[in-house]
Amino acid sequence: MRHAILPPAIASQPWRVLLPLTLLVCFGAAVLFSAAGGSMQPYAASHLVRFAVFLAVAMMISYLPADLVRWAAYPAYGVVVLLLMLVEALGQLGGGSQRWLDLGPIVLQPSELMKPVIVLVLASYYHSLPAGMIANWRTLLPPAALMGFPMALVLLQPDLGTSLAIVFGGAVVIFLAGVPGKWFLGAGATALVIAPLAYFFGLHDYQRRRVTTFLDPESDPLGSGYHITQSKIAIGSGGITGKGFGEGSQSHLDYLPEPHTDFVFATMAEEWGLIGGLFVLLVFGIVLRWGLIVARRAPDRFLRLLAGGMTATIFFYAAINLMMVMGLAPVVGIPLPFMSHGGSSMMTNMICLGTLMMVDRCSRRAVTPGLG
Amino acid sequence: MNALTFSAGFAPSRIRLVDIRRRQLLTAQLRMLLLGGGFALVALAALLRVAWLGVVQPAPAEHSMAQALLPPRGEITDRNGTPLARAFPAYALWFNPDALGDGGTPLVKPLPDVVAQLKAIFPDLDVAETTRILAAGKPAYLRRRVLPEEVNRVNAIGELALETPAETDRHYPQGKLGAHVLGYVAADGHGRVGMEAFLDERLLDPAQRGKPAALSVDLRVQGALEDELASGMRMVDAIGAAGVVLDVDSGEVLALASLPAFDPNKIDAEGQGNMFNRVTNQVYELGSTFKPLTVAAAIDAGAVTDLSRRYSATPYRISGYTIKDLKPKGSSLNVPEMLIYSSNVVTAHIVEDLGTKRLKQTMVDLGMNERPYVELPARGFPIWPGGNWPLLRGVTVGYGHGIAVTPLHLASAYAAMVNGGTWRPATLLKVKPGHEARGRQVFKASTSARMNQLLRMITVYGTGRNADAPGFRVGGKTGSAEKPGAGGYQRTTLVSTFAAAFPMDKPRYVVIIMLDEPKGTAASSYQRTAAWNAAPIVGRLVPRIGPMLGVLPDEGRDIDLSDLKPLVGGKD
Repeated sequence: MRHAILPPAIASQPWRVLLPLTLLVCFGAAVLFSAAGGSMQPYAASHLVRFAVFLAVAMMISYLPADLVRWAAYPAYGVVVLLLMLVEALGQLGGGSQRWLDLGPIVLQPSELMKPVIVLVLASYYHSLPAGMIANWRTLLPPAALMGFPMALVLLQPDLGTSLAIVFGGAVVIFLAGVPGKWFLGAGATALVIAPLAYFFGLHDYQRRRVTTFLDPESDPLGSGYHITQSKIAIGSGGITGKGFGEGSQSHLDYLPEPHTDFVFATMAEEWGLIGGLFVLLVFGIVLRWGLIVARRAPDRFLRLLAGGMTATIFFYAAINLMMVMGLAPVVGIPLPFMSHGGSSMMTNMICLGTLMMVDRCSRRAVTPGLG
Repeated sequence: MNALTFSAGFAPSRIRLVDIRRRQLLTAQLRMLLLGGGFALVALAALLRVAWLGVVQPAPAEHSMAQALLPPRGEITDRNGTPLARAFPAYALWFNPDALGDGGTPLVKPLPDVVAQLKAIFPDLDVAETTRILAAGKPAYLRRRVLPEEVNRVNAIGELALETPAETDRHYPQGKLGAHVLGYVAADGHGRVGMEAFLDERLLDPAQRGKPAALSVDLRVQGALEDELASGMRMVDAIGAAGVVLDVDSGEVLALASLPAFDPNKIDAEGQGNMFNRVTNQVYELGSTFKPLTVAAAIDAGAVTDLSRRYSATPYRISGYTIKDLKPKGSSLNVPEMLIYSSNVVTAHIVEDLGTKRLKQTMVDLGMNERPYVELPARGFPIWPGGNWPLLRGVTVGYGHGIAVTPLHLASAYAAMVNGGTWRPATLLKVKPGHEARGRQVFKASTSARMNQLLRMITVYGTGRNADAPGFRVGGKTGSAEKPGAGGYQRTTLVSTFAAAFPMDKPRYVVIIMLDEPKGTAASSYQRTAAWNAAPIVGRLVPRIGPMLGVLPDEGRDIDLSDLKPLVGGKD
């Protein structure tokens, strides 16, 4: 084999994805180092440690047998829904909204866990669905319930961004499962009708302002348009090569909100310019392309849907965050995978990655002879 | 057979299943492709956007700390660096009822308490008015100017609705001094009237406004000029006065005053009325002060070679108009006597000898046919007779009638006459040594030297005696012109001017003093002519400004008049 020198356990890892990804995480750590004013604390060090820990978790996930994963789908879904309800209940008791569950050593955000789990449970559902029944509208009811319930719970928190991520992950799985295209068109049309209604009746004031601000950030550059305006200034002032490492004034002088989490891309772009931005986009491109290839090669329907859904979840994170930072989407609190400082998002994304690695491993085992 | 039964027995459902499976696989692949395409589209959009933001969209203007510390508008100083206009960071007290932003009452504390606290800070506060403004709940100024320590105390009240916005203000530390030179800054932040208007762009330019703009004006000279001009104007009850002190070699204006003045710190209706600049914008018939220029043109052209030659001084007619002198001094006069006694008739003879064409050319060379050269925006256009001048026109111009120019025109012309013959544009900007305007040669140096003698003789023996400050070697010419009014010239309303230069042995400065409609008062011995009102102002002014300008009084020095003295019957 090609990697005869290396032990097979190491050689068999998908290095062509893990290497760029590690580079991206290190780059993220450098940006966080700069955002902290040239210090490993408090962001960069924990960022690297979390990556190391969750990379180990991802590798462990990759060795799980596919059958076990499929079998565990519904129980895992049940547990996460219970956790969500627990958060809601604790929030009610504590008087106010709450998204976190304090479990002593770690603080867990169950809505984050729901993103991979919804993909898992829907993939499992469509795997068990007989092939001919896919076009029957009744078969759409269980997935709707599976998605709707956690989504409602997350919306109650209230966390629009995460609930949208859940819907997106689920919708991609349903789409990949082969549900008739016209239903999607219908759903799209319905969304067009419902969107204005939701805007006027469903959204909170602050969410509504985010939407209007997105449509015209200049209307209130010092108020609700502040985030987008400052972020665009940061990206724009980086130019092609950036201002240089540690020279970003937007982040260091606190013009940029959340320079280490949601707006980390702007922090990066100010100091590294267009070159840095292209690198980040390139690595995401590599990861997502690999995800889609893994999904296409997957040996069975469950693994295919699982891989597709996981890729879509990572994609959703990255796309919405980048769009938001660049002023192409409203401000929703979604961090940038692998770059933003934050444990929950790292965990979710590494779970997605681990799952993809697992699918990759299964498909290679299934067609070992043919794989070049 | 077997195959047939097989196909007959199982085929339909099996084939259908296979078909469905295959179709599903196809759909799955297609869907995956669609998803990948969607991803790619979003990635492309992000890529384009990043490139757009980073490359195309203009980067925000960078502001350095040094720039933030610059004054919002540059300083103006005099030639010695004394500030004439400076930026003054000021605060206002503004009531913003929406500051709390919660739609409730604008004030946190009860209204009377807030007013009482404001009253404690500003003892002169109008309680009723302030209460009315605060109760009305509409944004309004409570006070236009608040001192920095008062700002701190207002903030300490803790009412968000009481805002103290920083406002830039222009401060003229010298008050009215040099008002017409400086102008003022209007509410729109741009300069008006004076050098504030001319330098507007430079004073606002971040790259230049850190350095003060230096004017040619010397504040001390300006102060002396305005002081003497004002007291001289009061003494003879004139409606206005103008004065200018000009460096003859560089064209720099050392002082320029137009009275009555205005206060650039406080522009009101009265100030608006006084913004008119009599030195650069108003044109006057400056009368006999033109006679030396005519003589200089004649000497330069060779029309006058013998200063002892006597011309008839009896009235004579040209084109049906009788030229005569106000106070005849005998039947014939030579050129020095003509200047000393200011004879119109002899001037007419000289113009006749010189020819009107040559006189007109000299006037053109002296810039009398265009607006005065100076940076101020308001510059008056002379009343300039065009075409070929008939003799009568030449004669009247020869003694300063039928042509109306600004006092600044006269100053520049006199500077050319005394400095060796070079005419230079006047400037209000400080000129670095060696960077003077090139100018143009109007008179020969010999003509200029002769004119210096003649001008000095006027103050020693003639109408300019009141200007002869001892030791300062002043030379100059009076001019008293009747103002044109309804129905011809008015005998009693005069414009009296004294155009002087000093020290005549090496002329350095030209001083023009002009009084508009002086009256005969006890101070002027009940005379209205320049010899009695404008000349004494020069006589008082020169001793004040001379030492400041490096001209010290010296009774032992003077220009040599010995060759001309016998011509005017002067004693040794």
